[in-house]
This record gives sequence, structure tokens and C-alpha cells, in this order.
Amino acid sequence: MAQQGPSHALKTSLPETYAAVNAQQPPPSYLYPTQEEQDRYLEGRPGATQKHLEVALQHAQQIQTQKDAEDVILNRILELIELPSSPTADPAAPSQEDTVKLKYSLAPFRPSDYDNLILERNYEDLCGYALCPRKHRKQDTGPRGGFQFKYGPKGSGPGGRGRSVDIVSQDRIEKWCSDVCAERALWIRVQLSEKPVWERRAGDTRGTTILLLEEARAKRLKAPAATSSVSSIVNDLQSMGLGNRDRSGELALERGDTSLIRPDGRVDVNIRENQRGSQQVAGAPQMRPEDANGGSIEGYVPSERRGPDQDGDIDLLDQI
Amino acid sequence: MDGDSAHSMEAEREMTRLWRTFRTVYELLADRGYEVSDNELLLPLEDFRAKYADPLGYPDRTKMKIQARPTDTMKMKYTALPSKANPNPQPDCGTIYVDFCPDSSGVGTKQVRAFNHLVDENNFHTGIFITQTPISPSAVRLLSGVPGRICEHFQEQDLLVNITRHELVPKHVLLSPEEKAKLLERYRLKESQLPRIQISDPVARYLGLRRGQVVKIIRKSETAGRYASYRWVI
Repeated sequence: MAQQGPSHALKTSLPETYAAVNAQQPPPSYLYPTQEEQDRYLEGRPGATQKHLEVALQHAQQIQTQKDAEDVILNRILELIELPSSPTADPAAPSQEDTVKLKYSLAPFRPSDYDNLILERNYEDLCGYALCPRKHRKQDTGPRGGFQFKYGPKGSGPGGRGRSVDIVSQDRIEKWCSDVCAERALWIRVQLSEKPVWERRAGDTRGTTILLLEEARAKRLKAPAATSSVSSIVNDLQSMGLGNRDRSGELALERGDTSLIRPDGRVDVNIRENQRGSQQVAGAPQMRPEDANGGSIEGYVPSERRGPDQDGDIDLLDQI
Repeated sequence: MDGDSAHSMEAEREMTRLWRTFRTVYELLADRGYEVSDNELLLPLEDFRAKYADPLGYPDRTKMKIQARPTDTMKMKYTALPSKANPNPQPDCGTIYVDFCPDSSGVGTKQVRAFNHLVDENNFHTGIFITQTPISPSAVRLLSGVPGRICEHFQEQDLLVNITRHELVPKHVLLSPEEKAKLLERYRLKESQLPRIQISDPVARYLGLRRGQVVKIIRKSETAGRYASYRWVI
């Protein structure tokens, strides 16, 4: 672990790349004990089998992966505090280098980690947005801080009249140098994945492809109304092939729907009425000879009643 | 003149608070088993002020650094039982270093990194970092991530009073590995069958307990006089 660089540490903490790295080189020593060590461990423990050990090792490995990932995130936070690389950088037009570094570093982050980064940057007297070199706002409003009114632009009020008013807590304002930077930083935050890195799947692109606000805006301007026209929506829907029967079967299989799907999309329903036997009328119970003594109790005949039977004398008298 | 007296009142208040914290730190060190003299334990406020006040009357936290060495009994308690793999175990404790952070707000990774560096450079076994405000989550992570060293964090207000001196807090005594082995043998237990105490428990934090140790908790009992129970630190 020590001789490997930070980029390698990331690889071992991401499941998808972990497999690829593992294929190329033997796993690091802390990840797996050799067969010899395993045997030696099992020798002293008669109750444990190889299988137990494997399960335990697997869990240990998972925990180690988590720890590695958390270390990586911590290191990334420490690196991102140092951004931007030049004190005169413009957050609206960041340098290519910094942008790449930011996007690369944010890949394993969750929104909560990002919040930690903002907090750390504020402690360093910097704007919460990682590509902004300015200081964060500081308003001196007494020891308690509290809340502030924030007015929107003219005409932003209800019904297009007046100004909208927001009541914002002090620390939310003080995180940034300006509202623009706040927007930029929060735009990145919503793109991060809630899932911790060690649980992400290989195909999960959320969180790995991050766009800066400026890039996203440029993109939207470049491709205006591409998605808005009705015909394009129709085209998109058609290309999805929803009506295609084979594909819907595939989809059903993927969902785990194993029941037979009829072409018209319905199941065959037969209604069967429950027939009542109303012809027979239950009669009143009739006295039978064995009921004279009360009969058996769930198959058990009390001994005092059974006793005379065994003699064979008295029951004749009874019956006469 | 009026503003001036308010100023000195404020300074006086902070001085007194910090003095109480400072004394609790010494009590903590003594309770853990470090070498602490009686002078240090019973340091009067006047002496503290004379020693640590800056010209304005405010406490100067940069001067307040404490080092202490473990006593022999503590070393004994922290020495593991000899085993086949390790026939001659060394005590797992050493010099402790206590640092008061002078920054009044926003203690983050920067200060913690400096502290970690200091602990590492001077080869202290344990470090205690005391701040005025809570530290950031990444700073907590950074503090606990020093390999081979133990770094703890307290807030000044946590140590304003010594919680173990409260009448409702029973006496906690750390068992040595030998005593622990005897206990387990006497009651025919595995350690996992003992009741537990969290490592984040205030008393466990105060005593600097580590995972796997066992504490004996002695309570007063109306019927039995004294009642001892044992807890496994997790």
C-alpha cells in the first residue's frame, strides 16, 4: 500500500477497476493471506473450516475496501483545498488543468463528502467553490449570527410583481464569495452520486461524469431545442421500441417477470362460480345405541364405562 | 473605563474556565496512570494566571503544552500477556502530549495536520488535541488516521468539570491483561460474553480505553455494600 501512489489506491477501492487491476498483478499482501498462512491459522482451530475463513476474509476485505475509499476521499479533500492553482484564477473560466483535476477528484465523492470539502475550504478562509480563489463572505452581525433577508431581482415576486424575499441562515450565505459561486458549487453537488464508492456498480456513470455549470450552459446553448420538438420526442420514443414484442419480452425477463405474457397484454381469465349444494337439508341428530353411555371422548372410552364390557356379563343385561 | 473593565471581566472569565479545563487535564492524566506531581494537580488559579496569561489578561494557549510519562503500574496494565509469538511483550503506552489549540473557530484539517506532525516528529505515543470549538469531520478522520499513534480530541467545555468526580458516576478501573485472563477463567467466560461499554462512552474517552480492554465498574449498593461489574470495551 505504501509504495503505491494515490491513483493506485483509488483503483483498489473502486470495484470495477479493482477487478481489472487484480487481473494484472497479484493482490496486495494486506488483502489476502497466502494459503500457507491460512493453513497455519486453521491448524489451531478444530471447529473452523476453509469456508469459514473465506467468508471472514471476504468481509474483512470489504471493510478494508471501505477504509481505503474513505482515505482516498480524505486525501482528495486535502488536495482540493489547495485549488485553484493560481491566486488570480477566474471561477467563470477555470484553467483546463484545474477543471480536470476537480472532475477527477470528485468522482468518488458523495454529497456529504462535498459538504465536508466546502466546510474545510471555509475554515481556510476560501470560497466553498473549489475553483474560486477568493475569500468567502463574512458578515459581522453580532455573536449569534442568525438569519437574513435576501431579496431577488425586480419582478421576481409572486405574480411577477415586487421582489421575492428569502430568509436564509447566515452560514449558508457565508459559505461562498458570491451567489454565482454558490450556484456553481451546488450545481456540482447535485451531480454527485449518493451511493458510496464501494457500492457502485461498473456501469454507474452518475458522479463520474461531472459538468461544470459553464460547460453545461454552453452545451445547452449549442444544442437548442433538440429535445423540445414533438417530432423528435416521437422519434425518441420509436427508437426505444416499446411496441416491439420481442423487446418487451426481454424487458419482462429482465424484471424477473416469469409469467406468460399474452400478445394482447392480458392474461386468460376464466370465471368459475362456486356452486352451493342447497338440495340437502341437514337433519336432526338421532339417538344411536352407543350413545346411551355417552360414547367416547375423541376416541377415548373412560375405564369405568369400559370395565363391565370386558367382563362380558353386564352389558347383555344393559342391552335387554 | 467602563469598556475596559468589561474587557478584563471577559478575560478573567476565560482564564477561570481554562484553568478548570487545565486542571481536569492533569486529573485525567493522573487517572490514566501518568506521572503527575501534586503541584500540578492542585495548581491554584493565581499561579495559573501568572504562568499562562498574556499581557491583556487572556490565556495564552500556545504556552500550555503538557507532556507526561507513564508510571510503572500503567506500563504493567498496558503490557500484553506473553504468548508463543511474542514471548517478551513491551508495554503499549508511552509519553503523552497535550496541546491546546489557540484558534477560536474553524478548526479544520490544517491545525490537525500540524498537530499530527508534531506528535509524529517528537515520537510521542499518544496525543490529546484540545480545541475550543468542534472540529470538522475530515479533521476527526485525519486525527484518528495516524498509523501507530493514538490521537484523541476533546473540547475545552468537555473538560470543564471532571465527570468521573460526579457522585452518580461509578468508579471505573482498567484491568490488566493478567487480571482480565483471571476474570474470564474464574467465570468461565469468553470476553464476548461480558457486558460491553462503547469506546465513545464519556468515561471510556476520559480514561482513553482501547478496544478489547475490560473495565471493572464499582458501584455502591444498598444491599451488598459494593457491587462490581465488568465491561468489555468495543
